[in-house]
Amino acid sequence: MMKQGSGFSAQGPGWVLTVLLLLGVAGRAQEISFGGDAAKKGHVSLLSDDLVVEAGKAQVVELRFRVEEGFHINSHTPKDPLLIATALKLDAGDVKVLGVEYPQGAVFKLGLGADAETLDVYQGEFRVRVRVVAVRGSSTMVGTLHYQACDNAACFPPRDLAVKVAVTGK
Amino acid sequence: MCAGGCGLVRRMGVLAAMVVVMALLVVAGVHNLRQRRAAMAQARAAQIVLVKDGAAPVVDDGVENSGTSLMGKAAPGFTLVDLNGKKVSLADYKGHPVVVNFWATWCAPCRLEMPWFEEFAAKYKGQGLVVLGLSQDDADMPAAKIAEAAKKIGVTYTILQPGDKAKAEKDYALADYLPETFYVDKNGIVVEHSLGAPPKDELEADVKKAMQ
Repeated sequence: MMKQGSGFSAQGPGWVLTVLLLLGVAGRAQEISFGGDAAKKGHVSLLSDDLVVEAGKAQVVELRFRVEEGFHINSHTPKDPLLIATALKLDAGDVKVLGVEYPQGAVFKLGLGADAETLDVYQGEFRVRVRVVAVRGSSTMVGTLHYQACDNAACFPPRDLAVKVAVTGK
Repeated sequence: MCAGGCGLVRRMGVLAAMVVVMALLVVAGVHNLRQRRAAMAQARAAQIVLVKDGAAPVVDDGVENSGTSLMGKAAPGFTLVDLNGKKVSLADYKGHPVVVNFWATWCAPCRLEMPWFEEFAAKYKGQGLVVLGLSQDDADMPAAKIAEAAKKIGVTYTILQPGDKAKAEKDYALADYLPETFYVDKNGIVVEHSLGAPPKDELEADVKKAMQ
């Protein structure tokens, strides 16, 4: 009995691992089948969840964005003024925007050797800090993120990502 | 006693979970296949091959939907305005190999390859090579700004202001990213097409194809 029980215990993690692996594969299949390509199409997506803030008080909230892997967008302060700077524009509404603070960009080298150009970019996840005052109750922060995405060899035209974040003032 | 019974119940539970997971995989796979088939059918339906001088487009049964479809065909004609306000047509360069390069001031990879075009324009000047840079900036971009960018990049070949971008996109079946380049031989035939900035040696090889 003991031996049989031990045998099952020894196999248990194997079964569990198998099921977890299959679940992982299933999850990936679901991602492929049903995943939101709309966000990928523009190469940048808004990650921010709903925000809860203290009503009537100025405070800083963070809006999280993600640049698709393999792509980059210019930072808010690109090295060359000809390049399109990333800029968040928020509409006036129940959430009063007092200021926007952008993260520093990362150095990105385009090209090789003497022909290489150094760019100042955002890659992966980046956060924009927004100083706001929200009214009591539910409201929505609405605006757009203007950006221009590239990879190592090509660039997509400038785009505007719709930004819509629910804000609850308590 | 429970060890055996409980073990059986556990195994049955795991088996049931695996059956559920397999069923999920099958459903996801079928859904995925259907979506891919629908997307491919849609792409085929939207496929258009364009011909010179705005002649009626012909629906093709291929799946390629970019400028590659122009390979081996006559380069669509255009007339645009250069940075000095002078009208320039592709037809003006009949008998010359021509590089038709779509670019924009905000496109860093375009700026990487443009000095190479400048270099090759000088290197193969004796063979009649012409490089035309067609700006894909917004139509309201002042010519002075484009000229400033061209100067900064270091190019002196003919830069054309954005005209009817929709027409250019349609005629050349342009992708939605830059740079995009068409290599046209002296007979006006597109002999090579590139999307994105290729390595310099590859770019030169493409230029040479246009000169053969």
